[in-house]
Amino acid sequence: MILEKLPGLTKGLPGGELLLTTSDYFIDLGRKQSLWPMTFGLACCAIEMMASYASRLDFDRMGVIPRASPRQADVMIVAGTVCKKMAEPILEIYHQMPEPRFVISMGSCANCGGPYYDSYSVLKGVDRIVPVDVYIAGCPPRPEALQYAVVKLQEKIAKMSLKKGLATSQQEKGSRDINA
Amino acid sequence: MTNDEIFAKIQEKFPKIEKAAVQVKNYLTVRLASKDDLMAFAQCLKDSSFDMLETVTATDLLGPVDMKGYIRQQNFNPLLPEGATPQIEAAATPGYPYRPVMDLLWVFFSIKERARVFVRLEVPRENVSVPSLTPLFKSADWQERETFDLLGVRYEGHPNLVKILTPDFTQGHPLRKDYAHIKDRFDE
Repeated sequence: MILEKLPGLTKGLPGGELLLTTSDYFIDLGRKQSLWPMTFGLACCAIEMMASYASRLDFDRMGVIPRASPRQADVMIVAGTVCKKMAEPILEIYHQMPEPRFVISMGSCANCGGPYYDSYSVLKGVDRIVPVDVYIAGCPPRPEALQYAVVKLQEKIAKMSLKKGLATSQQEKGSRDINA
Repeated sequence: MTNDEIFAKIQEKFPKIEKAAVQVKNYLTVRLASKDDLMAFAQCLKDSSFDMLETVTATDLLGPVDMKGYIRQQNFNPLLPEGATPQIEAAATPGYPYRPVMDLLWVFFSIKERARVFVRLEVPRENVSVPSLTPLFKSADWQERETFDLLGVRYEGHPNLVKILTPDFTQGHPLRKDYAHIKDRFDE
């Protein structure tokens, strides 16, 4: 955005690169310290997700505040089994989220289908439809694991820069067009 | 009212109906002779205080599940040599009377008497079609749709017998034992 509006910023201006790097630092800092996830529980992993929001483990101290609307959310925590019937709503919610958006795949079911790998009705991994930034193993993962995933996502966000177009490699891949 | 009293009452009107060989818990379990009796029998139960239809369901009694058509690899153990016998085999319970029938079940409950009647009916499993109980019990509506969706039992006279659980692109009835999964757009 900034590069489009001010194309001479990096080349014409002396110290432009430094300015960009410094602004990157502050943008990423603001972005990673207030990751607002969408409350989006699909199965038993959602119980662990709720536990991590609650006072004992206290997600708020990391700036993670659950939002009820995808329009206000930065990160989608796919917590639970993704049925094929649920796949299309997930895509719709993913596209409703403002960019930059991140996806955390929580638990075995969302990673690869888990115990329902042979089922006729379960999607074998949410990464078949949306790009996933962080995978958490476990069935279900402990709340600490979810918080660790958020820490890892913060590390990832800290590496994003304006110069690279503000997208992680997963986001450049884009979501899948299931109607194709 | 004890089970024997209920059964005696039923036998007065429907002498063909007999007790099932296997009783469900302590409840009276009867087996219908044919599907033609069903409507009259349900009406009779409704008139004699069994005014709540709790469950409509069915069981496919055709042998063990055939793994063919599932996405699972036949030989998932990488330590086994090439061409070894697949470890996944359909598991049969020895001695169980598998047969090509669909075992239909209705559960009636009497709020007044606090008693249940389990009604069973065996029909050949191909093109199952039995009368719908929706004219008598509203609660039959979605349960019959579910049984149709998962087991392919057609309830004649149902006002809206369409899929209720599986998505539109799922083909076939998944709980039938001979169901073979057809790959859809989410299976690569």
